[in-house]
Amino acid sequence: MVDDMNEGGPRGRCAPATSPLVPDFIEVDHFGLACGGEHLSGDLFHSRSLEEGNRVVSVLADGLSSGVEAAVLASVTASMALEYVEWNIDTAKAAAILMDSLPVDPVRRISYSTFTIVDARRDGRTRIFEHGNPPVLLIRDGALVPLERTVLGQPRWGNRRLRVSEFQSSVGDRIVLCSDGVTQSGMGTPALPLGWGEPEAAAYALSRLARSPDLSSRRLAELLVDRALWNDGGAAGDDITCGIIHLRRPRVLQVLTGPPFDRARDREFAALVDRPGSRKVVCGGTTSNILARELNREVEMDLALPDREVPAPSAMAGVELVTEGCLTLAKVGQYLEAGACPRRNAASRLVELLLESDVIHFQVGTAVNEAHQDPALPVELDIRRNVIKRIAALLETRHLKKTLLSYY
Amino acid sequence: MEPVTVTICMGTACVVMDGSRLVLLEEHLPERLRGLVRIRGERCLDLCTRRSAALAPFVLVDGEPLANATFESIVLRIEERLAGRA
Repeated sequence: MVDDMNEGGPRGRCAPATSPLVPDFIEVDHFGLACGGEHLSGDLFHSRSLEEGNRVVSVLADGLSSGVEAAVLASVTASMALEYVEWNIDTAKAAAILMDSLPVDPVRRISYSTFTIVDARRDGRTRIFEHGNPPVLLIRDGALVPLERTVLGQPRWGNRRLRVSEFQSSVGDRIVLCSDGVTQSGMGTPALPLGWGEPEAAAYALSRLARSPDLSSRRLAELLVDRALWNDGGAAGDDITCGIIHLRRPRVLQVLTGPPFDRARDREFAALVDRPGSRKVVCGGTTSNILARELNREVEMDLALPDREVPAPSAMAGVELVTEGCLTLAKVGQYLEAGACPRRNAASRLVELLLESDVIHFQVGTAVNEAHQDPALPVELDIRRNVIKRIAALLETRHLKKTLLSYY
Repeated sequence: MEPVTVTICMGTACVVMDGSRLVLLEEHLPERLRGLVRIRGERCLDLCTRRSAALAPFVLVDGEPLANATFESIVLRIEERLAGRA
């Protein structure tokens, strides 16, 4: 978190929003479901951000069978891989150690866990190590790019193989990792007797991206898993997991909240709304009044879906969302803390916008609303700055977002 | 006849002073007023800072502020407006 105490806006230490701090960005997210009837998934997708976000290593491990046993096997495999990487052991070496140490099923002669390791750097250098999972997909400019894989074997590995690919990613590339629960979904059903299949799953991913090229990694993973579940007739026939690594320009969200301490800066603060290069959210009644006045714009409220916890959202030209301030932000903090939005309201919408972004720049006006200090109010309203700091910390630690704070 | 416009403040102070319920005004209108009232929300009317938060929640009935607004007091004010026009 960059905390700029003294100065907001372009004169501050923060880079202006138009030139985001992070040139390119590795967005990683995943979605998964446990095999029907199991509490735990035997697939694991874990990632670690290293070298200050310049490098991300992700592992998809699929433990043999399903349930607790599979979950333990996958968990051991994924944690070993990430621990080695953390100890500065080269990923190639880590993959080889896994091949050496994974127990092998005596009957089927396959590893107790399959794995895929993606070692992606922000400068584009990418290495992939695959053992046993469906082949990863590399999607570039809406099409599949075939990977050149070197197949490695060792006498002590028996007939098990490690496939290694190394390439230079371009901005916009997506690497899609799926467990066999995705590609084999629907197997044995009349519609898909042989299962969905890798080409069909890939075609589905491409068709969704053709429709919405800006899909977040989380959403694309969800779509693939949902479709696999559909193939299985609504009850997962195997653990279904999809993880996606996306190298791209960061999406910047500016959150404008609070009236500037000095009214002389109202105009400068309002001008942030029209700075290109980012989406904007406004939180606060007084704040939105200031922007409406300075920019000569209407704020329209939609009362169609009242919520008893959070005041209804409103709309303003050039802004994604306008909300009430203190209550909504406190609720956003609660939702982020809980890891889920139990209701659909202005706060859940704001959480969605935050999670869809990579860099979140909080532009915080520090004037204290005197009416909020009135002892007649039945609830205690936290100081805006504190709520924002809590939200920023949750975004950084739980969601690996980059956050910036500027005060006005 | 031009409907009476009720503007409900959805600012923080008004909401915590039980103004959040007021968005359901439509359901609380007596039968005779149905169709004669237009209800809209406002992000913040800024009346708590200009007057007192103790007077929240605020609404505007045809632009006239009403403090400590309740369903009953709003209905009463709407009826006064309609009677005044007649």
